[in-house]
Amino acid sequence: MNADFMSIIEAIQQQTDSAGIREIMYGAIENYGFRSFIISGLPDRGQDVRPFVLLSGWNEEWYERYADLGYVHLDPVARNCFSTTKPFDWSDAPYDREADLPARRVMEEARDFGMDEGFCVPIHMEGGMQGAVSLVGGTQELDDKRRLELHMLALYAHGQLRFLSSSRPDLAPRRAITGRESEVLKWVAAGKTAGEIADITGLSTRTVNQHCENAQQRLGTNNRVHTVVEAIRHKLITL
Amino acid sequence: MRVYSIRAPADRYSIDLLERNYRLRHTIFVDMQGWEAIRRPDRRDIDAFDTGDATHLLLLDGEELVGGSRFTPLDKPNLLQTVFPGLVQGTFPAPPSHGADWTRFYVRPDRREGRRRAPESAALFCAMMEYALLEGYCFITFVSTIYMLEHGVSMGWRITPLGAPALIDGKPTLAAWIEVSEEALANVRRVTGQTAPMLVERGMSHDTLPAPAAARH
Repeated sequence: MNADFMSIIEAIQQQTDSAGIREIMYGAIENYGFRSFIISGLPDRGQDVRPFVLLSGWNEEWYERYADLGYVHLDPVARNCFSTTKPFDWSDAPYDREADLPARRVMEEARDFGMDEGFCVPIHMEGGMQGAVSLVGGTQELDDKRRLELHMLALYAHGQLRFLSSSRPDLAPRRAITGRESEVLKWVAAGKTAGEIADITGLSTRTVNQHCENAQQRLGTNNRVHTVVEAIRHKLITL
Repeated sequence: MRVYSIRAPADRYSIDLLERNYRLRHTIFVDMQGWEAIRRPDRRDIDAFDTGDATHLLLLDGEELVGGSRFTPLDKPNLLQTVFPGLVQGTFPAPPSHGADWTRFYVRPDRREGRRRAPESAALFCAMMEYALLEGYCFITFVSTIYMLEHGVSMGWRITPLGAPALIDGKPTLAAWIEVSEEALANVRRVTGQTAPMLVERGMSHDTLPAPAAARH
């Protein structure tokens, strides 16, 4: 792997929003002769593609038309992603040119929007979910090595976008133990026995033990030391 | 579900569990994935790296073994450098003693079908990062088809190739390393919705053994 390619995939993984990835992708694909791209999940039949789109560099008008008319379900390029794991040229996406008129219409209209050639990387996710990274531009210059690089680039970009879209701060894990539990754990961490903690906090020894056991259950730990260690590690208590 | 880490098993339960792991691995890797090179007449997948140096992370649902993974310290004989040296052109990010080689990852296929993100693999991914942090490793190497890059990065892991991919059995395969960090653990937990630690130590010492799961719940 050459140094340029390594720094591109490193940069993708450092991005904290999709705008950053868009910029890197535009810079990167230009070197391979591509002009634009889309990164998207592929919806089940009948579903709107829009919620699945992770990043689009499509022409606005084409994007709206493609989504409004449900072209993702007719597009031979999108459909082919369900039947192969290997990247392919758009022109190699199979369809019946005589009989499959809807597919032909999508391909012809795309051509009218200047998207006559391209390269598509299918993305297969766990549980049979499908995605695609599709690049607009000629593929004549691509040798096997460059195809493999684009394949990896697509996997990194798709993965990072998926990570960013699934790790919104409003979904961050909530505080896993209660205030009382963290107070008791702090005293445990300070080396106090249950009896001593009872004296300090005015709780009964039984309640102190109960708080420890509850915290242990919430954190999925095995004993009191393990609970304290996990609570510190997750910054649930500070010493 | 819980993940046991077993190394040099001492108690009967761990020895039995490891035995079940070898048999399940044979079923999955040889019978289902067609790795004929490791087929054995006794139908146990045991190779040169299932030694006392290996740590096995085994995923249990109740008493059922449903997934696993193996780790070998990189300063001991390991699969990456013994079997796939051709895939490694770059250097490790740190001395070999700070890293482990991750091999034989599996989730029982009946547990992966039709699931958006199988909780079984999520549990194993969380446990492996917990394990690596616990052992003080700072990187984990692996050999896999390049599709693992997407899976790993989508969980918030930093993954760096150790060399260019090569076609193995017709599939683009590469060696790479995963950065071990608290952030990587927090990311995989957040993405998979896992809030509690998955890892339970087993087979290290009798004194610290938790009660059998059946007795706990």
